[in-house]
Amino acid sequence: MNQYVDVDALWKVLVVGLAGGVGLVALFAVGMVGLAARTAPNAGSQARVAGLALAVVCFTIVVAGAALGLYVMLKK
Amino acid sequence: MDANALLLGVVVITALGFDFTNGFHDTANAMATSIATGALRPRIAVALSAVLNFAGAFLSLKVAATIASGIVESGAVTLTVVFAGLVGGLAWNLMTWYFGMPSSSSHALIGGVVGATLIAAGSSAVKVDGLMSKVIVPAVLSPVFAAAVAIAGTFLVYRITRNVPESTRSRGFRLGQIGSASLVSLAHGTNDAQKTMGVITLALIANHTIGPGEGTPFWVVAACALTISLGTYIGGWRVIRTLGKGLTEIESPQGFAAEGSSAAVIFAASHFGFPLSTTHVCSGSIMGAGIGKRLAEVRWGVAGRMVTAWLFTIPAAALVGAGAWKGADVIGGTGGVAVIFAVAVVFAAALYLAARRVPVTHANVNAEWTGTLDPEKERVA
Repeated sequence: MNQYVDVDALWKVLVVGLAGGVGLVALFAVGMVGLAARTAPNAGSQARVAGLALAVVCFTIVVAGAALGLYVMLKK
Repeated sequence: MDANALLLGVVVITALGFDFTNGFHDTANAMATSIATGALRPRIAVALSAVLNFAGAFLSLKVAATIASGIVESGAVTLTVVFAGLVGGLAWNLMTWYFGMPSSSSHALIGGVVGATLIAAGSSAVKVDGLMSKVIVPAVLSPVFAAAVAIAGTFLVYRITRNVPESTRSRGFRLGQIGSASLVSLAHGTNDAQKTMGVITLALIANHTIGPGEGTPFWVVAACALTISLGTYIGGWRVIRTLGKGLTEIESPQGFAAEGSSAAVIFAASHFGFPLSTTHVCSGSIMGAGIGKRLAEVRWGVAGRMVTAWLFTIPAAALVGAGAWKGADVIGGTGGVAVIFAVAVVFAAALYLAARRVPVTHANVNAEWTGTLDPEKERVA
C-alpha cells in the first residue's frame, strides 16, 4: 500500500487543505457577520464598532493566510 | 533546415498547441463558479484568469523536470514519442472540450506519453509503481479530498451567515469568490504552464539543442505563458457551462467555499509534492459545494459522466498516443511525423466546426441547464 501512496504527504495535504479551505473560508463568513452587524439598522454604536473590528480582523487573517499560502507554494 | 530541426519545430508547435488546449480547457476550473454566480461577467472572468495564468507561469521557475519522469524510462523518450504523446493529449482535450466535460489535461498528456512509450519501447519502459503513486492514486483521492473540504466549508458558511441579510451576503461572497478564483488561476498558471515548458525542454535536450543540466530557455517560458493565457482567454465555454451550471446550481457562498477549497488543496498539494490534477480538485470542490448545501442539488448524472470521462482519460489518450507513434513509424522519418501532425490539425478543425453547430459562448454560458450542453434546447421544449 505505502509503495503506492505517500501517506505522509497525504496527511499534510488533508490537514492544510482543511485549515485553508474550511478555516479561512469560515473566517471570511465570520467577517461577513461582523459587516452585517455594523450595518444593521438597530445596532448601537458599540455593536457597530465591534462588528467592524471583527470584520477587519477576520478579513486580515484571510488575506494573510492566502498570501502565506502563495508564498509557501512559490518558495519551494 | 535539416530534418531534425524540422522535427523539433513540429514538436514545439504541437506542445504549444497542447498548452493552448490546456488553457481553454481549464478556464472552467478557476472561473466556472464566478461566472455562474455573476460575481464576474464572463468576458471579464476569462480575461482576469488569462492575466493571472500568464503571471503564474512566470512566478516560479523550478521547472517540473518533466511530467513523464518517474512514469516512463527516460531512455525510451525520443522526439517522436514526445510528439505522439502530445498528439494523444491534444486529441483527448479537444474531444472532452467538445462534449463539455472537464477532464485533466495532465492525465491526457501522461496517457499519451505512456501509450506512445508502450508501443515504441514495450511495457518494460513504463514504471507501474510511478504511474500508480503519481497518477492513479492521487486521481482517486483528490476529488474526494476537495469535495470533503468544500462540503465542510459550504456547510459552515451557510451556518455562520444565516442571519446576515441576503444582499450583504451575496455581495460579500462574490468579492470573496473573485479573490479565491484568482488564486486558483495563478496556481494553474504556475503548475500547468510548467508542464509544457517541461515537455519542450525535454525535446530540446533529446535533440541536444541544450545540455541535460541546463535550465529552460527564456523563450520557452515566455511562449508557454503566452499560449496558456491565450487559450484561457478564448475560454472553454462548453466546460465552463457544465461545471458552473450543469453539475449543480451554484450560489455565491457555495462558489466561494468551492474555490476556497480548490485553492487550499492545490496549494497544499503542490507544496507537499502530492501530484493532484487541478481539474479533479475543482470539480470535486464544486460537487462538494452542492452537497454541502442540500443533498439533492448535485446532478449525479452529469457527475457520473464526468467521472466516466476521467476513467477513460489515460487509456483513451494512450490509445491515440500509441496510434500516432505507430502511424509516424510506419510512414517513417520526419515525413511520418508531418503526416500525423496534419491529421491532428484536420481533426482539431473538424471538432471546431462541429462545435460551432451548437455554440456555447460568453453570451449563453449561463443559460438554464436543461439536461444537455445545448443552451438553445429550452426554446424547443
